[in-house]
Amino acid sequence: MGDAESNSPAAAGVAPPVKLKLTRVSKTYSNGTQVVEALEPVNLQVRAGEFVIFFGPSGCGKSTLLNIIAGFEDVTDGEVLLDGRPVEGPHHDRLMMFQEHGLFPWLNVIQNVMFGLKRQFRFKPRARRAHARRFLQMVHLGEFERARIHELSGGMKQRVALARALAPDPKVLLVDEPFGALDALTRAKLYGDLQEIHQRTRKTIILVTHDPREAACLGDRVLVFSGRPGRVKADIAISLPRPREINDPVVAECAAGIMAQLEA
Amino acid sequence: MRVPPYRIKYYVLGFYLLILTAWQALFSAQIIPDFLFPSPLQVARRLWELTSDNYLWPSLKATFQRMGIGFAIAACMGLLIGLLMGMSRVANSCLRSLFLGLQTLPTAAWVPVSLLIFGLSDRGIYFVIIMSSAPAVALAASDGIQHIPLIYLRVARTLGTPGYAMPARVILPASLPSIVTGLKLGWTLAWHGCVSAELIKSSIGLGFLLQMGRELNDAAQVIGIMVLTILFGLLLDRFVFGLMQKRILVRWGLAPKASG
Repeated sequence: MGDAESNSPAAAGVAPPVKLKLTRVSKTYSNGTQVVEALEPVNLQVRAGEFVIFFGPSGCGKSTLLNIIAGFEDVTDGEVLLDGRPVEGPHHDRLMMFQEHGLFPWLNVIQNVMFGLKRQFRFKPRARRAHARRFLQMVHLGEFERARIHELSGGMKQRVALARALAPDPKVLLVDEPFGALDALTRAKLYGDLQEIHQRTRKTIILVTHDPREAACLGDRVLVFSGRPGRVKADIAISLPRPREINDPVVAECAAGIMAQLEA
Repeated sequence: MRVPPYRIKYYVLGFYLLILTAWQALFSAQIIPDFLFPSPLQVARRLWELTSDNYLWPSLKATFQRMGIGFAIAACMGLLIGLLMGMSRVANSCLRSLFLGLQTLPTAAWVPVSLLIFGLSDRGIYFVIIMSSAPAVALAASDGIQHIPLIYLRVARTLGTPGYAMPARVILPASLPSIVTGLKLGWTLAWHGCVSAELIKSSIGLGFLLQMGRELNDAAQVIGIMVLTILFGLLLDRFVFGLMQKRILVRWGLAPKASG
């Protein structure tokens, strides 16, 4: 059973409040005759500002759990609380960033970032634009606000997607293997950007990956999932100083430790 | 041998000059009597006469007015029905077969029934235009909607787009390339339908001038109006819908690279 109560607040002293609380969340699929247990009951507390990694092989239920938190999938049993309130369906307070960038080709870059801002700035298009521009600058794409999506490189597209996900100020940012399709150099740059943004915004982030180095490089805490049925095998706190470098031997050593937990 | 792109237009120009020359040569050979087979010059002269006698302009205007109103209604209806089909499996299953069936009907086949229902009034022409083109627009729109990548819908939902705003903010824009293709095809079908209906039902319009030419045994007028019908159909197709399509493809990064 995946008992993964948080006991590793990022900061010393007063622990930040619990942002996200999962109580015995489980998921089973049934296709007619067969019942498949995708996820054994999981308990989890994520504190405000924590950068949590769901790490594991494919088919271990980590993406399922992320989809449950995002509200794209229902739980079979258990409860997900955000700031003490149960979550229901997709909502912009739990924004998801996907493997594919999913930028809208009928809009230009800044319009994409503005897409999620209709509510906050209902009658103030200028304020909406200024707000979007801030986040575009945060991902270092300030000069590209009028560019069309197809004119950007793969890494730039993911950075626009990141700006679009951050702009509506979600309480939790959910990230589903967003760097899988990128080359190593672009990825290394994005790891830096993502850490910098996390430091600056103190956003609560949950990121799914099957790359142990990525987990070691980005996470305050790594939940190790094992497969069939999916369950949380270990909960590792990572206290390496930031910013971390993906090619740093210390990160590699830490990644080896994470792998060891998976195979244990 | 590859022809450089900038020279293609000269080939096209040459091709049409060749057709005109062949036409003139066939006429000069006197194989077919000239009251059945006029020369390009005679056709041009007849069109000029129609223009100076103030026949052509009012008819062109009438046809375009009918097309403007009729096609606008058809496009709106087609889009709404297509949206419904794209979003409801039941509506799609029911309407798809019906519309595919209707599309096998030649557009001119709507004329008799419109005569029965509307008599000789202009409303009958609108009816023919709508029945000819709305199904094509609806089918294209629903195809486009069904092929929207799921990721767009998921992104829109996670960004908090409420259900009622989805059609305007995501579903229609995401299927725009298909929709424009449908509008382009719909325009051509509407053009067919409109001219067909005018042949029988009207006392003004391109179709009417065509029919009048036949009644007067004026082959030059018949052929001249046919050429004009092709020309205007082509112009609209190329310069309204063609450019719209190209613009969208360029914006989306789907435009084929210039061949070289």
